[in-house]
Amino acid sequence: MRVALQPGFILHRRPYRDTSLLVEIFTQEWGRLTLVARGARGPRSRWRGLLQPFKPLLLSWAGKGGLGNLSGAEETTPAPPIPTDRLLCGFYVNELLLRLIQPHDPCSVGLFETYRNTLQALACSPFVEPVLRIYEKHLLTELGYGLLLDSEAVSNQAIIAQGLYRYLLDQGPLPMVRERPGPGIPVSGRALLALHHEALDEPALWREIKRLTRAALDLRLQGQVLKTRTLLRAEHQRRLNR
Amino acid sequence: MQSPLLTRLQDALRCLPGIGPKSAQRMALHLLQRDRGGAERLVETLRAALAGIGHCRLCRNLSETEICSVCGNPARDRTLLCIIETPADAWAVEQATSYRGLYFVLMGHLSPLDGIGPETLGLDQLEVRLGAGEIREIILATNPTVEGEATAHYVADLARDHGIRATRIAHGVPLGGELEYIDGGTLSHAFSGRREW
Repeated sequence: MRVALQPGFILHRRPYRDTSLLVEIFTQEWGRLTLVARGARGPRSRWRGLLQPFKPLLLSWAGKGGLGNLSGAEETTPAPPIPTDRLLCGFYVNELLLRLIQPHDPCSVGLFETYRNTLQALACSPFVEPVLRIYEKHLLTELGYGLLLDSEAVSNQAIIAQGLYRYLLDQGPLPMVRERPGPGIPVSGRALLALHHEALDEPALWREIKRLTRAALDLRLQGQVLKTRTLLRAEHQRRLNR
Repeated sequence: MQSPLLTRLQDALRCLPGIGPKSAQRMALHLLQRDRGGAERLVETLRAALAGIGHCRLCRNLSETEICSVCGNPARDRTLLCIIETPADAWAVEQATSYRGLYFVLMGHLSPLDGIGPETLGLDQLEVRLGAGEIREIILATNPTVEGEATAHYVADLARDHGIRATRIAHGVPLGGELEYIDGGTLSHAFSGRREW
């Protein structure tokens, strides 16, 4: 089977044999795949500098099942590059896809759009926190585990900004009763609504939103540790100690 | 029908890059049939190299002594430190440029997805060195790949903490190249990094 000029991105690549690369790709119609790029590390490779993460590409490959062979890669309209201080966040975005989506899993076009928009936002938007949170929210939705953000779990009542809630990951937000705190992640109504409307301009809310999306993702990761998260945390710690 | 030792030798030779079963067989037969003396020398040298070559305590490059010849050379500029990914890169810079400072060899680049973090690259060691106060400028000569850039950024950040100037090597059109055949990324980089002429 041959696929020609499919819009896609490289998520990760690692050396394979002497001069080849194993590339993990994420494409619009075929989702995640692993391909062999023969000779890609050789000194005269036609793909020099092209098979890099975060670059929008048109990919062609051949092969059925198992490992396909990359037969072509072209750059589409170049996207604005991600600033170097945000590259780690970019790796985080990629790692989430690599861990939560298996090769050949059917993927919606929406997820590809989400990924593309996230890269663009990482390159352009003034703050990274909102970009990552919105990506995590969309990722969960596309995986079929979307968060319930605008109404309560049992009563179906609309979330109010002044309210305090505890979020049960398998149900949704429940009103917090001061005398009986109960299980779940404490979260304010304002934070829930902000994430729902994707209007995360208030830095004060970022922390609790992060706690929520992180817990929801951790449930899906089933104990897998995100290596990029460990590194980002260490980096953050170093900044604080400065 | 092949002797088991010969099979083992062939398998062992295949650990070399670019050597498949056919080449391994050719090498093994050559050493045994035509050049037993050469094989002897190979064994001795290999053993000596394995035992004698380690890493320089200062720059992490391959070295026979605790401090390599570059780090130990009093004529080199000790205020300049070039950050580089592999010994081969250091060798290339040494051959091609008139750089007279010191090196720090990372032996890789940051690649969190493969579990390669700052400790694996000896960046804690680098930080101690930056803190010692001898270095005035670091030259970031990691590869212009996404991982190389991320590494350069990380190291530059460390340098900033210690008030040390960080510079990045220029990226652009190769000498003698033709613009028509240069990939878009390089060309746009070359344009944004243009200089007064």
